[in-house]
Amino acid sequence: MSKPVISMHDVKKIYELGDNKVHALRGVSLDIEPGEFVTITGASGSGKSTLMHILGCLDRVSAGTFKLNDKDVSNLSREELANIRNKQIGFVFQGFNLLPRTTATENVEVPLLYSRPLIPAVERKEKALRALEKMGLSDRADHHPSQLSGGQQQRVAIARALVNEPSLILADEPTGNLDTKTGQDVMQTLLDLRESTGITIILITHEPEIAAYGSRIISIRDGLIVSDQANTRPPIPTESPSLAAVP
Amino acid sequence: MFTMMPINLKMALRSLNRNRMRTLLTMLGIIIGVAAVLTMVALGTGARASVEGEVTSAGTNIIFVRSGNYTRGGDSVGIVSGAGAATTLIPEDGEAIVSGIAGIQAISPSNSVRTFVASNGTRVFARIQGIAPEFADIYSWNIAPGNMFTASNSQQAIIGPDLVSQIFGEGVNPVGQTIEVRNVSYTIAGVTDGQAEDHSEALFVPWQTLQDSLGVEHLDSITVAAERAGESSRIAEEIKGLLRQRHGLISADNDNTQSGYLARQGGVGAVPDDFTVETQAAEALTKGLYTPAAAFALANLPKLDEVTLEEMADTLDRASNTMTALLASIAGASLIVGGIGIMNIMLVSITERTREIGLRMATGARSGDVAIQFLIEAITLSVIGGLIGLGLGLFSAELVGWSLGWPTSVSLASMGLAIGIAALVGLIFGSYPARRASLLDPIEALRTE
Repeated sequence: MSKPVISMHDVKKIYELGDNKVHALRGVSLDIEPGEFVTITGASGSGKSTLMHILGCLDRVSAGTFKLNDKDVSNLSREELANIRNKQIGFVFQGFNLLPRTTATENVEVPLLYSRPLIPAVERKEKALRALEKMGLSDRADHHPSQLSGGQQQRVAIARALVNEPSLILADEPTGNLDTKTGQDVMQTLLDLRESTGITIILITHEPEIAAYGSRIISIRDGLIVSDQANTRPPIPTESPSLAAVP
Repeated sequence: MFTMMPINLKMALRSLNRNRMRTLLTMLGIIIGVAAVLTMVALGTGARASVEGEVTSAGTNIIFVRSGNYTRGGDSVGIVSGAGAATTLIPEDGEAIVSGIAGIQAISPSNSVRTFVASNGTRVFARIQGIAPEFADIYSWNIAPGNMFTASNSQQAIIGPDLVSQIFGEGVNPVGQTIEVRNVSYTIAGVTDGQAEDHSEALFVPWQTLQDSLGVEHLDSITVAAERAGESSRIAEEIKGLLRQRHGLISADNDNTQSGYLARQGGVGAVPDDFTVETQAAEALTKGLYTPAAAFALANLPKLDEVTLEEMADTLDRASNTMTALLASIAGASLIVGGIGIMNIMLVSITERTREIGLRMATGARSGDVAIQFLIEAITLSVIGGLIGLGLGLFSAELVGWSLGWPTSVSLASMGLAIGIAALVGLIFGSYPARRASLLDPIEALRTE
């Protein structure tokens, strides 16, 4: 059996706000295998965002261990975490976070700007175009975000998450700003992506319908995992319309 | 870090282009500051170059010693006053000046006469001046075509360009031609470019040869060049003392004590000098050199013949220093205000783009990458302002120079300096915003609306 992408053991996160200590995570243990599509649900204040920040190497644990691809990242410096985010994690956000007045290609190139060793401009552009092609957006490569629909913008963001070939995609409420139909299309895109590349996806949502897309659903409440089960009825990818037809 | 430059520059230009009006207004301080720096340097170096230029071309280090006394001569005291008529100066006086007074670069004994010269079948009336070969150095002549004669008793001559035109025609090379003056034949050795006085219309011949042909023993004048222009007055005083002694006008022991006010009136006490010593600084001042500045100097220096070049340069320096100080304070204030403007707008920009910074950090930008991005944006802003300021400065230097009649000179180095200062302002005032951006927490930054 291959090594888990994520291996957390008794992870705690405590924020100190003045004299108050906020226990955001109270001891989370979690292993995620390559190729899993994990959805994490929970009400606001449940600690799911904190968990995602730690999974995304944006924040550090207060206690416990966290291994990403078998490497302990619990105590890395700010700069080392930046390198790990760059190489191993692709982020997809609720608000897309595309740079305005910047073409889709250039938006997708952003993570490549911070790769070391440096990637030459020509190669950056090739990689970005390839990622856009995977998302069925080749014909939108020179469009600015304002010229794209919400679904297209989110797929540009997914292309950006993919461009550096990470082992993990972290999606934080990726459908939150989209209507139901477009949200479903984006979810389908993620399913297809997992199907074709075997990439590991962790998705955070508060919507049960969206959580149902995962192959494994984890619920979190008050900083603890309250349920963790395989999803026996994931939506079937073959019913989806082809990507190119998505507006 | 430097390999990221093109990307960073592109990002900077895009971001600045996004808010053109804001960018331009932010640059205003830098634009004015750089323009002031450039104008300041242009006026400063222009003034200096002009003074230096005048020293060499006009020969402001020159002292004239003439036979006779214009101010106190006359029949009543038995001293001939008319130019050319006095015979009190002799070649030995010149030798004594050279050997007895320190700081003299060169002297040239001189006689002159107005008479007919004949050559090329033409006879014209002209001024003939006998000179020593050193005369060419004293006046910084360029002899072309031809060369200066080397002996004071040869039969060679140097001719002024206007006289060449009169005798040989415009643009003709007269070198090697023979020219006749008072039955002596001279070979033309060269043509002078001398602009001073009437050099262009005169014929210059070796002074000993001219003395012989005129049958005289005396000199009309001696032209003395000081090694350093500022010493002209001191040397002039010493020449007076020396000649009074040589001509038996005063005893050696009380010479120094007397060389005050009365001495400058052309003699000591009841005994008038039988010679005249003048520095050229006074003459130079009145000849339209550097006119407004000279007028300034004149207004401040009541005794014209006391003006040494050092004093004149000092006065000009003071005037240009005042101007420079004024512009420097404008430049300094504008650059500081401009820098604060840049800092302010960068802080605004960072606040507006907090999410962008968070996104960049989430995708792997290190603190340094973010800092460099914003630092380059600040420097780009200030350098573009600097370039606009450069254009404005060239224009204003020209304008100020023209309206004040003040010479300006803008060197490549001063343009480089102006841009360098602009870049430095961007660097200094961009550091704080850049550092703040680099220290943002990516989670907080991404959460910002």
